[in-house]
Amino acid sequence: MPQLALDGVRVLELADDIAGGYCAKTLAEYGAEVFKIEPPSRAAPEYRAAQSEADDALRLHLATNRKSVALDLETERGREILFELAVRCDVVVESMPPGDAERLGIGYERLAARAPAVVMASVTPFGQTGPYRLWNYDELTLFAMTGAMHREGLPGRHPLKYGGEIAQYFGGTAAAAATMGALVGAAMTGVGDWIDVSVFEGMAGHPHQIGRRAPFAYSGEPDLRVEPRTSSAGGREPYAVGTFRCKDGYVSFLPLGPRMWPNIARMIGMPELMDDPRFLTTDDRSENRVELESIFQSWLDGKTRMEVFDAAQREGLPGGPVLQALEVAGNEHFAARDYFRRMEHPEHGELTYTGLPFKLSDAPESAPSPAPEVGRDTRRVLASVLGMSETEIAALARRGVASYV
Amino acid sequence: MFSPSSTPLKGALSGIRALELAEIWAGPFCGSVLGDLGAEVVKVEAVQRIARGSINPPPHASGYPDGDPGERPWNRNSNFNALSRNKLGLTLDLTTKQGADAFKELVNVSDVVFTNYAYGVMDKFGLGYDELRKVKPDIIALFTPGYGNTGPYKTFRSMGMVIDAITGHTALRGYPDMDLSRNSLVHHPDAVAGATAVFAICLAIRERIKTGRGRFIDLSQAESFMPHLGEVYLEHALTGTPRERRGNRHPAMAPRGVYRCAGGEDRWVAIAVKSDAEWREMCGAMQMPQLARNPLFATLDARLRNHDELDAAIERWTRGTTRYEAASALQERGIAAGPVLDCGADAYDDPHLQDRGYFQAVEHPDAGVHLMSGPIWRMANRSEIRHEPAPGLGEHNEPLLGGLLGMPHSRLAELEANRVIGTAPLEGADMGGVRRAAERKNAAR
Repeated sequence: MPQLALDGVRVLELADDIAGGYCAKTLAEYGAEVFKIEPPSRAAPEYRAAQSEADDALRLHLATNRKSVALDLETERGREILFELAVRCDVVVESMPPGDAERLGIGYERLAARAPAVVMASVTPFGQTGPYRLWNYDELTLFAMTGAMHREGLPGRHPLKYGGEIAQYFGGTAAAAATMGALVGAAMTGVGDWIDVSVFEGMAGHPHQIGRRAPFAYSGEPDLRVEPRTSSAGGREPYAVGTFRCKDGYVSFLPLGPRMWPNIARMIGMPELMDDPRFLTTDDRSENRVELESIFQSWLDGKTRMEVFDAAQREGLPGGPVLQALEVAGNEHFAARDYFRRMEHPEHGELTYTGLPFKLSDAPESAPSPAPEVGRDTRRVLASVLGMSETEIAALARRGVASYV
Repeated sequence: MFSPSSTPLKGALSGIRALELAEIWAGPFCGSVLGDLGAEVVKVEAVQRIARGSINPPPHASGYPDGDPGERPWNRNSNFNALSRNKLGLTLDLTTKQGADAFKELVNVSDVVFTNYAYGVMDKFGLGYDELRKVKPDIIALFTPGYGNTGPYKTFRSMGMVIDAITGHTALRGYPDMDLSRNSLVHHPDAVAGATAVFAICLAIRERIKTGRGRFIDLSQAESFMPHLGEVYLEHALTGTPRERRGNRHPAMAPRGVYRCAGGEDRWVAIAVKSDAEWREMCGAMQMPQLARNPLFATLDARLRNHDELDAAIERWTRGTTRYEAASALQERGIAAGPVLDCGADAYDDPHLQDRGYFQAVEHPDAGVHLMSGPIWRMANRSEIRHEPAPGLGEHNEPLLGGLLGMPHSRLAELEANRVIGTAPLEGADMGGVRRAAERKNAAR
């Protein structure tokens, strides 16, 4: 019976945010058994980034493949159980404000004294140290500080956030990578680690930002918002770089420099432009980019997104359609790769969920399970991991220390 | 309190050797982070094709130390050097048998091969997964073309900009009052693929320790990024309508936006208020108690309806403060706020990044000493992650081929004579040069 890559890996999760939650979700996708500790209450707790219409969507997405264990950490007995669970886990993912883990009795030093191989991933907006470590945050305020926002938007207007919760998810993926690296270290040496992941530094250390910081570091070049379709936007062949309107929506292109000019001319069915004196060299084309863009645009106006996509690919050009969320889920390529997954949720019915970030050869995929009801797995986990009897667990529930459904 | 161990162990991946065949971002970022973790990462390039900027940039070209490309511009390119920390530099022309054979010898003593080349390139070199596995049965191979290694788009050319479009992110970006065609360029998905690749490779290494088996990892840059928008797809399914573009605003927070500050041309503070109580606190911080009583702004619904007026009122305050003063005044009252920082001086001047020692002084033999960006996490029990300078082109040919593989001098000399290895790019080897040469050949035919 082939096993999942992370079969046998146990994870304790104390994360009500996107970065920590996505780190734990990523581990769960590949077979780790993740105990999500939640406060005993009937209603599912909200994620910190939750918002009116998307409350449910965020939990549905982030909390897949979890075992929900409801424990009241305000009680001493609740904290004792938390510690006993933690020392039986390979990984603890926590995203509480720095210092809270110690207060709950699961500080790294106390854990490592009992379980030297444990890996503790502390995933926070600003990290465990430094003057901002206790700062409040939201995707907007965090993203603003990373350097990513300053270049998003137009000169003369205000800087913009990306869509979604991009910085926090990136922090989550970085945290998962660090955790897995530390698990390798633990497997080789028997010594685990405490990892300090700052979402701020993750996004500030993202190649986009590093790449923009480099010319400043080397020669003091400023980092400004620029008009798209100018060479200063990084666009080589600027008239064909960026997002364009077409017959039924939008398409995006990023041709890789002057060498792709012939491909562009052929794509739009006008190879004669290659001999047009206005467009001979890259400088000519930059100079006459407005004219060239309007020729390009006229071609786009008569084509649908998928027609443009086909034409671009026939010429080996990196170009493709701008899709809306549900169009992505219906796309032929992702369907052919069995990427999206259908899952039945007791309350929300059958829905389509994003799939695995990568596929492993010859490995089975975990049977996905939708976000659990709070406390769904309390009894099973306390019995199987801590060997508690039904009577003991029922007593805990009566005292409000734990709850289950 | 987080503090590094006084007796740190070596990096978590020490003893692991990984071969990088990669350009642009996704692959090179993966390599740098594996290097951060202590792996020995060998970046394999070719003197026939480099992705280190132009070979002959004009004097005073952008992105070189003090505006000077110098004698070896390929070793002085700021972008390349910033994105290539913690690896060794090897050149091998993999289109030749000699080059591919040398690569296989290297595979034999390595653990991981990763590439973000387009689909089929490795097969063309005769270095597809099956070939690699013949050399080393437990090799871990990660190939990450934009759309993955199977499916109808597997051969399609892609860049982060296009992955951003096809995954639905582009449709969420830009100013809500402007056409999407005014969107800025974005390359975010590359980086997600790079970070995901580090996770995937570490997962496979750990599994190999337990089972002795290697893996082929099929990483689609699109698919690794899509879960970062997971709730947006579900929201569309649940509500029946796609999410509208929001700019900096939010349906459950107001005010939420960036506000112009004093202290310079393009200075902004970002603010996100999550409750009515926070709004009243914010009015206190702004010393505008009358605003807290104004019914136009009393509730979330009212503030959302009157967001433009709200923004104007707030900006009257922020224009009189610096972005740091505004952010600190709000954070003191527990309100989410932060300065908008650029990737120039702002990041270097930030007290938090300075306090955490984020930037490191790095001496590059060809480029000099500069403050470079640091690692994206810290590990308490492992030695501090240093930013070692980017390798020069072919800088480690000798220690890798001669030292590690034990090739005799005569063979190295032969490889060099045949331009299988080298330390200077051939004419036309900068990106696009290969294609230009091929096109000239075709035209001549």
